[in-house]
Amino acid sequence: MTLVAFVLSVLLGTASLAYGFSQAGMTDPARWFVLLGIVWILAHWRKLYWVSSLAFAIMILGAAYGVWNNLATIWMLLGALGGLLGWDLSDFARRLSYAAPTDDIRGMERRHLARAGIVAALGFGLALLSLVIRINRLAFEVAVGLALLAALGLTRLVMRLMKY
Amino acid sequence: MSRSLLLGFLIYGLLLAGIATVRGEFIALALPLAIYLFAGFLFSPTAVNLEATRHLSAERASPGAEVTVTVTILNRGDSLDEVLIEDFLPADLTLRPSIGSGQRFGHTGHLIRLRKDSPFTFSYRVAGPRGGYGFESVRAQVNDYLRVTSRTVEVEAKGQLFIFPPVTRLRHVAIRPRRTRVYAGMIPVRVGGSGTEFFGVREYQPGDSPRAINWRASARHADADMLYANEFQQERAADVGVILDGRLRTNEFSRGHSLFEYSVQAAAALSDALLAQGNRVGLLVYAAFLRWTIPGYGKFQREKILFSLAHARPGGSDVFADLEHLPTRLFPPESQIILVSPLREDDLSPLVQLRARGYQVLIVCPNPVKFELSYLPKNKNVELAARVIRMERAILLQKIQRAGIQVLDWNVAEPFDQVVKRKLSRPPGFLRSMQ
Repeated sequence: MTLVAFVLSVLLGTASLAYGFSQAGMTDPARWFVLLGIVWILAHWRKLYWVSSLAFAIMILGAAYGVWNNLATIWMLLGALGGLLGWDLSDFARRLSYAAPTDDIRGMERRHLARAGIVAALGFGLALLSLVIRINRLAFEVAVGLALLAALGLTRLVMRLMKY
Repeated sequence: MSRSLLLGFLIYGLLLAGIATVRGEFIALALPLAIYLFAGFLFSPTAVNLEATRHLSAERASPGAEVTVTVTILNRGDSLDEVLIEDFLPADLTLRPSIGSGQRFGHTGHLIRLRKDSPFTFSYRVAGPRGGYGFESVRAQVNDYLRVTSRTVEVEAKGQLFIFPPVTRLRHVAIRPRRTRVYAGMIPVRVGGSGTEFFGVREYQPGDSPRAINWRASARHADADMLYANEFQQERAADVGVILDGRLRTNEFSRGHSLFEYSVQAAAALSDALLAQGNRVGLLVYAAFLRWTIPGYGKFQREKILFSLAHARPGGSDVFADLEHLPTRLFPPESQIILVSPLREDDLSPLVQLRARGYQVLIVCPNPVKFELSYLPKNKNVELAARVIRMERAILLQKIQRAGIQVLDWNVAEPFDQVVKRKLSRPPGFLRSMQ
């Protein structure tokens, strides 16, 4: 179940990015993303789990590059989301490999997929919402203040997480 | 790099790109990642409070015997979404495959969900060679369900397993130390008294059992108007010091073969038999260092000796390279010393000195020549070398025997109890009378 979800996620992410880039006539990067997807799946099959983090980072950077070049945001967003899910599921599959056959693997898979799906859907929904809603009358000072607040909150969050 | 750190870098990068270019799309890209990070943090366990207990089906086992280890983990804290439990086996112990379809059986690692105040029990079977093994703790990695946060705790779950050497039952080991103790045992001393072996006839004295009266002798001397009584040979206990030679240079051979396990087996069997005969037995392991088990009697002493033998390892050191530094003061004067050693040429002098000090010495000698020949290829060179070494060894053993030391040359291909029965047991009474 996890393996299928992982492959689908990677396919979703790389195919979205490849489609987004090829739509704008950038066929070379599109091919690279397809190749990245294949390499990622093969690396997972060979239990080279560290490739997942690298592939995920490349996909996010690729999506950012696409946004920078004014490519269709929805494909870039789907690419980032696919990368995130692939990265999550690859690590979950690694953890599952430590489980004994008698453990409740099915139950854990089901719960994890449900929760990861909810988180991904929520993130995707909010991202879409942020693309739709536009606040035109926002003072520069307020924007800077909000950005600083976000950065501060994020810093605190990451610092807290680093303790674990 | 931890997962949260990677996510943090990516989110930061996208946020900065969004601010720098004043484009909301970058922020939109960062949002799923931020939600993921936040969700992981939100559902991370606040406190981990795990307790573990370990139960072993047997704390003492024989080599190769399977022991079932059962570990129970109890969650005293909040519910944990994902706990990766790993129990580490001590070195040399091996996990045995599970037999049957028992739940949670046969694995040391588990990925589980642990609710508050709920236990999780798993079992597995282990087996291993002779030795003492300590189980210390169970490692639990507690993750939130996205593994954004992860903490590893070591939960103490102590346990001990001793794998004792196999103890071959020896029926009787005949030893003749010069000095015995006053307590009753099984070593015949040339003194009349209570016992089982006939010693002589003497005049009947008040207090003697009427059963002891020798009616035939009394009738023969009826004119003297006296009764005669049979006297029996007293049997007493003795002090016995067993020395196990653990020197690398005497025990280790080519291709990783070793005679040490055989020596341990012999030492265990002899100690067991001598203790069963009521003697006071001590054990000295002479290897890289000295391991001394103070002499004692009975079952408790047997356990102590087996415990010491379980931990015995061959080792080499410059100080104990030869038997010159054998601490003879540990053994009472004129007591019985049993040395279990494959022997080397330079061991002759210390052994003769030991004999000269008045000890009764018995050497149980696992035969290294036959042992090596059993796994070496059979060709002319090997045969010739074996012949030379065999002769050298025969000369060495002859010299030792001439010094009054009893030698039991043991071909390890033969069971130890059979060799002892043939060479060390007391012959039955009717045979003794014929000798």
